[in-house]
Amino acid sequence: MEEEIQTQEDPKYGIGDYMPSAAIVGVIFSLISFATGLFFGYQQINSEPTGSFFSPFMISSGVICLVSALAGLLAVWHFTKEVSPKLKLGQGAVLGFLTGAIIAILSVAFSELWILLFDPEYTEKILSSLIANIEEMELPSAQKDDMIDAYAEGFQQSSLRQLFMGIPITGLINLITALIGVKIFAEKPEEKF
Amino acid sequence: MTNRKLYFILLVAFSGMVFLSLGGGVWGAGQSINHWTGVLFQSVCHQDPTRSLYLYGAPMAVNSRCFGIFAGILIGWLIIPLLSAINFKNKLGLVVLLFAVMLQILDYSGNLMGYWENTNLSRVLLGGFLGVAVSLSLSDFFYNHNQT
Repeated sequence: MEEEIQTQEDPKYGIGDYMPSAAIVGVIFSLISFATGLFFGYQQINSEPTGSFFSPFMISSGVICLVSALAGLLAVWHFTKEVSPKLKLGQGAVLGFLTGAIIAILSVAFSELWILLFDPEYTEKILSSLIANIEEMELPSAQKDDMIDAYAEGFQQSSLRQLFMGIPITGLINLITALIGVKIFAEKPEEKF
Repeated sequence: MTNRKLYFILLVAFSGMVFLSLGGGVWGAGQSINHWTGVLFQSVCHQDPTRSLYLYGAPMAVNSRCFGIFAGILIGWLIIPLLSAINFKNKLGLVVLLFAVMLQILDYSGNLMGYWENTNLSRVLLGGFLGVAVSLSLSDFFYNHNQT
C-alpha cells in the first residue's frame, strides 16, 4: 500500500512509457519537417537564382527549425494527456530528448526514401540551384568558392553521418521545449504543510 | 536550490552547445558548413555565412541569431542560481518568453518583406533575449521548493 502511494506521488517511468508520446509526436513532426523541406526544396529547384539570402531553401531551414522545436513541448502535452499528468522536470527532459532524436532519425530516413524511390536526382538539383544562387551573391569570389565547395562536400556526406550528428542538437532543443512543456502542462505537486 | 543534478547536467550541455556553435575556426578549419561542428547544427540552422559571425577567419557553425539564442540560454542558465539566492519570483517568465518569440517572428518577417534590414548585432541581441527568456522561464524549477 505504501509502495503504491509512493508510485503515485513519485512516479517512475521507463523508456516504454515515454515511447508512445515521443514516437507519435516524433513521426508527425518529422513528416511535417520532411514535407516542408520538400516543398521549399522544389521551390528552390524551380526558382531563378537571385543572389538573395532569402532563397526558398534558406526559408525552409528557419521554418523547419521553428516548427520542429515545438515537438518537445507537444510530446509533454501528449504524455500528460495519455499516460500520466505527473511528470517531473528530469522526466520531461528525457521525453524531449527522445522526441528530438526520433525527429532527427526519421527526417533523414524520409529524405533518403524520397531520393531512393521517387527522385534520385533531387540532391543534385538542389545543389545546382544553391550554387547558382551563391554565384549571384555579392561576395568576394574566394568566399563564394569556399561556400560552393563546402555545400558540394556537405551534400555528398553520408546519411549515416547526418543521422547521428543530427541527434544531439535536435535532442537538446526539444529537451528545452519539453521543460517548458512540463511547466505548462504537468501537474504541480501539492504543497505539504 | 532544487533539481541541482539536472541543472548541472544541462549547464554542461549548454556550455558544450555554445562552444561547438563557434564552428570550424576554433578547430583550425576555414569553413564550418562541412566541418563536423557544422554538421552538428545543420538540421537546426541554415548556416548562411553571410548572416553569421566570424571567428578565426571562419564563419561560425550557426548564424548570428542562433548563436545569440544559444549564448542567451547559457547566460540565463548561469543567472538562475543568482535568482535563487535573492529568492526572485519569476511570475512573468512565460509571458516574457512569448514576447521574445513574437519579437523574433516580427524581426524575421519585417526583414523578409523589406521593411527593415537586420544586422548581425541586432540578430545576436534579439536571439540573446529569447535565449535568456527561455532559461529564466524555467528558473523557478530550480529554487521553488514546491517543485521537485
